[in-house]
Amino acid sequence: MKNNLKNNKTNANIYIPLNGKIEEITQLTGDVRLFKIKTETPVDYVPGQFFMLSVWGAGEVPISAASLPKENGTIELCIRKTGVVTSAIHSLETGQPIGLRGPYGNGFPRDISTGRDVVIVAGGIGIAPLRPLIQHFINKPEDAGKVTLLYGSRTPDEIIFRDEVEEWKESGIAVALTVDKGNDNWKGNIGLVTGLWPEVQTNFKKAAAYICGPEVMIKAAMRDLFFLGMPDERIITTLEAHMKCGVGKCGHCYIGPQYICTDGPVFSYKKIKERSILM
Amino acid sequence: MKNELILDKNNLSYWLRQIRKNRELIGPLMNDGNDIVFKSVDRIHELVLDCPASLPSPKEFIFPQYEPMLRMRQASNVKRQEITDLSDETKRVIFGVRSCDISALGLLDKFYLEGHKDPYYAERRRNTLFISIVCNDPAPTCFCIGLGTGPYLEKGFDIQITDLGDRYFVQIGSPEGAKTVKAMSFLFRRPQKTDYEDQYEVFLSSKARFHKRINLKGIRQMILEEKVKDDFWQWVAGRCFECGGCVYDCPLCTCFTVTDREYPYGIERIRLWDACMFKGFTRMAGGVLPNEAMVKRTKRWYYHKLIHYPEKLGGFGCVGCGRCTITCPGKIDMASIATKLKGLAISEEEK
Repeated sequence: MKNNLKNNKTNANIYIPLNGKIEEITQLTGDVRLFKIKTETPVDYVPGQFFMLSVWGAGEVPISAASLPKENGTIELCIRKTGVVTSAIHSLETGQPIGLRGPYGNGFPRDISTGRDVVIVAGGIGIAPLRPLIQHFINKPEDAGKVTLLYGSRTPDEIIFRDEVEEWKESGIAVALTVDKGNDNWKGNIGLVTGLWPEVQTNFKKAAAYICGPEVMIKAAMRDLFFLGMPDERIITTLEAHMKCGVGKCGHCYIGPQYICTDGPVFSYKKIKERSILM
Repeated sequence: MKNELILDKNNLSYWLRQIRKNRELIGPLMNDGNDIVFKSVDRIHELVLDCPASLPSPKEFIFPQYEPMLRMRQASNVKRQEITDLSDETKRVIFGVRSCDISALGLLDKFYLEGHKDPYYAERRRNTLFISIVCNDPAPTCFCIGLGTGPYLEKGFDIQITDLGDRYFVQIGSPEGAKTVKAMSFLFRRPQKTDYEDQYEVFLSSKARFHKRINLKGIRQMILEEKVKDDFWQWVAGRCFECGGCVYDCPLCTCFTVTDREYPYGIERIRLWDACMFKGFTRMAGGVLPNEAMVKRTKRWYYHKLIHYPEKLGGFGCVGCGRCTITCPGKIDMASIATKLKGLAISEEEK
């Protein structure tokens, strides 16, 4: 009878992580590493979606995909050592197993950028979910008009993907960097990322924007862009929250009537205002 | 087979003993502290059926406070991780559940089974049969009558029984319920005119006994029309003890946390009830607390139950069981808040 029940299992268990293996670890800044993870079977996803990374004994943590899906089935995840699980992930070495579930969430909307200039606003580790989007616009320039990246970091040493930013520039992305606190070698902008609007050569009323960073930065950037004339349905951000399940059950990421995990993590400013998220 | 039958009270114990042969029997029992709790029934004669709803809701058996999810064993080869699904497959029958808790099940099913299907809930739900009992004498804290979730149900139950004094009026509401009755059909007889009349009388007298008449629709409307000001929610927050009692006792609160525990035989990933009333509920890595202010948390609970639940699942996140009224030390439970808001609305009109 027991066996019979086993076969009748109501459904595949969504909480069982897929087996992954760490292929490569790159130290990006002091506390940020890029993990290249290979799964047994390739996983398909879109920029803006996230995975629940799982380290047995420590737990699970939601991490946005930091690369476009690749044919060889590797996923890059950019992780800052902040809490219990991310510290456990940082203690792993190349070749060790790591579990992952997903992809979850809605991802960035594809259609809104077509034929429009795009402004990408990143703050700190917020560059991670935006990186596949930048890669997408480089691979498919026809999907957008002129792409401008505004990227703010705390210090010059904390600029994540600094070498890649130079490559992006060469590929035709306009880039403006800023830091909160400079050092002797820094000759660039100092100040908030929202101080960089004059660097953007576009008509804001006709452009689209993708924003990710700390909550205060997201709020300020969305409001500024709205006042610069950008329609609120084209101001797009991706939010984060404490999550335990990633599938809309555990309740931790519930804000307003929305679950960040299943209704988001990507929201337009329009939706954020309508649904009182982030207020 | 007809869906309405009569069971002589003398036969109840025999019927339950027969059911118990294939399923674990759970029922309302009195514990040492004189609380009514749902537990595995060892002695059928100790069942307490003339009491109102149990204090902890029977959601414990489909969404337990502590539930092992997965076990990981590291094989000798370091790269191999063996994962076992620990979902509970015990066949159970829960006897003596009240209508409010059955109504709650309908919404829990929508929540856990639609979209991403929760395998632990699904497995337990599939293996559990509910025999609910109509409330002849609702408690002073009950207000299901205003929500249509009790004291008796028209649909949504497996088997519903009504106490008619010396016999039970038995109604079958699901194929699984029919199977359970059919297996012992010799215990039942067809209802006669007097049985129907007695059942009708019980329904009427039960309805007349409610102390509380609470209109959650009206409260929802007040909130939607922004007639409930922030200072009201501040007052509510000021009275909250952050004990989480309302959440744990609520048959419709669904939040959980997941944690890993290490044992000699491997690592177990378990889930536990969590409560949005706790400050740490939304804590993010790095220590950011989005809901540090108490008012955000109490407001969230009420908004979830009164505004968002109906939008998302088609019913209030409250079935009027009155458990939060019994539990809440600050008297800011659903019924008290609704009464208070109604009072405010009336005094506003009189101005």
